Amino acid sequence: MSWLKLSLFSMFFSVNVSAVELNVLTQFNYVLADDRASWFERDTGILAYSDNGFHQQQSLAVISDSFSSGLSYEAVGHYYQQGEQHVGFSQAFVSYKPLSGDHLRWRGRVGVFYPKVSLENVDLGWLSPYTYTQSAINSWFGEELRTTGAELTLFSAGRSRNSAFSFELNTAAFKANDSMGAVLTWRGFALHDRQSLNHEQIPVAPYPTVIDADGLNHPGYVEPFHEFDVKFGYYVGAHVDYFKQSSLRYYYYDNQADPNAVNPQRLYGWRSYFHSLALQHKFNANTRIVGQWLAGHTVMGEHFVAADFDAWFVLLSHGQDAHRFSLRYDHFSVTEDDVFPWDWNDSHGAAWTAAWRYDLNDNWQVGAELHWNKNYAHSRQSLNQDRQISQQQSMVVLQYRFAAQP
Amino acid sequence: MLKATSVLVGLLLSISVVAGELSVSLRQVDGQAMPNTVVYLTAKDPATLSATNTISDKSAIMDQIDLQFSPHILVVQTNTRVRFPNSDSIKHHVYSFSPAKTFELQLYKGLQANPLLFDKSGIVELGCNVHDWMLAYIQVVDTPYFGKTDAAGQLQLSVPDGEYQITFWHPRISQEEKQLSQSISLPAQQHFSLNLTNPLLPDLSQYEQHQGDFSEYE
Repeated sequence: MSWLKLSLFSMFFSVNVSAVELNVLTQFNYVLADDRASWFERDTGILAYSDNGFHQQQSLAVISDSFSSGLSYEAVGHYYQQGEQHVGFSQAFVSYKPLSGDHLRWRGRVGVFYPKVSLENVDLGWLSPYTYTQSAINSWFGEELRTTGAELTLFSAGRSRNSAFSFELNTAAFKANDSMGAVLTWRGFALHDRQSLNHEQIPVAPYPTVIDADGLNHPGYVEPFHEFDVKFGYYVGAHVDYFKQSSLRYYYYDNQADPNAVNPQRLYGWRSYFHSLALQHKFNANTRIVGQWLAGHTVMGEHFVAADFDAWFVLLSHGQDAHRFSLRYDHFSVTEDDVFPWDWNDSHGAAWTAAWRYDLNDNWQVGAELHWNKNYAHSRQSLNQDRQISQQQSMVVLQYRFAAQP
Repeated sequence: MLKATSVLVGLLLSISVVAGELSVSLRQVDGQAMPNTVVYLTAKDPATLSATNTISDKSAIMDQIDLQFSPHILVVQTNTRVRFPNSDSIKHHVYSFSPAKTFELQLYKGLQANPLLFDKSGIVELGCNVHDWMLAYIQVVDTPYFGKTDAAGQLQLSVPDGEYQITFWHPRISQEEKQLSQSISLPAQQHFSLNLTNPLLPDLSQYEQHQGDFSEYE
């Protein structure tokens, strides 16, 4: 009998030592949508939903594991009802953080991932724990920004130096983000939580200057994670933290794409670069302020399409017991600067988003969100639409999440 | 083996020692009480030393609660087994590069790691490779006479009469060695007070405060 006990014990033990973690999150909602349909319907609205009713907002699964050596991996898979591609992954990377007693340490990541530009998207799978409709800046990052490459980080944890300040320097070289800026320039900023998946095509409204044969003769979509040239993009970032109370992150990003590179689909390279500054301050354990500012430039072809873009937001969030209340103001604009005066790419707007989220228990959460924006897009004129519109969107959301060690 | 143990126990019991109460008080330079400081007494007399340096079969716990080590400072006798449970719902990766105990331990959610034996005296500084702000100390001492000062900077110890070295340690105390480790004779000095003459190093306890959820990418 003892051998049986032993083998049962070893089976139990070997199952238990498996460190693979699976985190799953799924959201269902009921939405009162705005009249102006979204880019997913090839229209010019800047909110994700086009129809009132129930939706499967999103489902994601994060699988991860870590090892004694300091090696770990993480992959994030999604299912979306919205968009062109329903199933895919947004991130998949291997990290290495060697153990060290030094005050200055290093770690690295290789794969597909987000630079740590955001202090808003800190929940599972790059979601925001605050609002469902994310800021204009991070909605755009979710759509068009991704690092397919390697990141090296030098960091110094304040705790190990007996200091209140921690520092981190990041640098990365990457490929396959050469069309970044196309959606932003043609449609303008949008506000949503739909992250683009690997090989995703993002629809663009049928602006005549974009799709007509005597215009750019571009397809009615953009593939943001395409590689058009042999050049590497890069970014550098610096983080400073005061205890765990205040954080500041600055990033400079440049995809270094060749703006004259064009592929057989007639998709172009877009040279895009930007500065991003993100801040967070916790007044106490319950109340915090989060903000971010973005400014950059993008150009395609021989200055065929070029634009400056800038945006900022301020978010206040207060957690009380199992409730969390968040309020965010967004301001965003794209200002064109190209050689074709008949190609109208100016857009700008402002938005308010208010959300309440309530954890029923560790697994279930309910929430509600109200969103209002006023936005202008010159390109709507080419589709005989009003350039300036106001949009509203309301939703109630049921969320389920669980963690398991399979 | 059993016989040898019985003989050893018998020998230990036959040594007659008179234990007295030692009252220790520690104050900061501004007169405020100095809490949570390790205090331990090591016997100078080899006879007393051999009587006190028994094989310890003790255990202690260094837990992980709300992404912090708990307690921040743990003091144990040499040959104590320390368990590292994980009361959090996420994994930790505890490590130390201190000469007294160099190790790394993956603490998965829901898995009990085997306890670790701390068999060398010294200060063991712990970190977590997942959460860089986590830090704790395990002070391993070669004596059964140890403790930590309470909120009032006081400690009561039951110690046999004899000649000892009394030593104080806290990560924020910056003081000359001779002040932090002094001779003491019992029962003559039943009250021992130390007033620190240097100000404390910066207070970093804010790292231990709960700052709400969603601090970093996890």
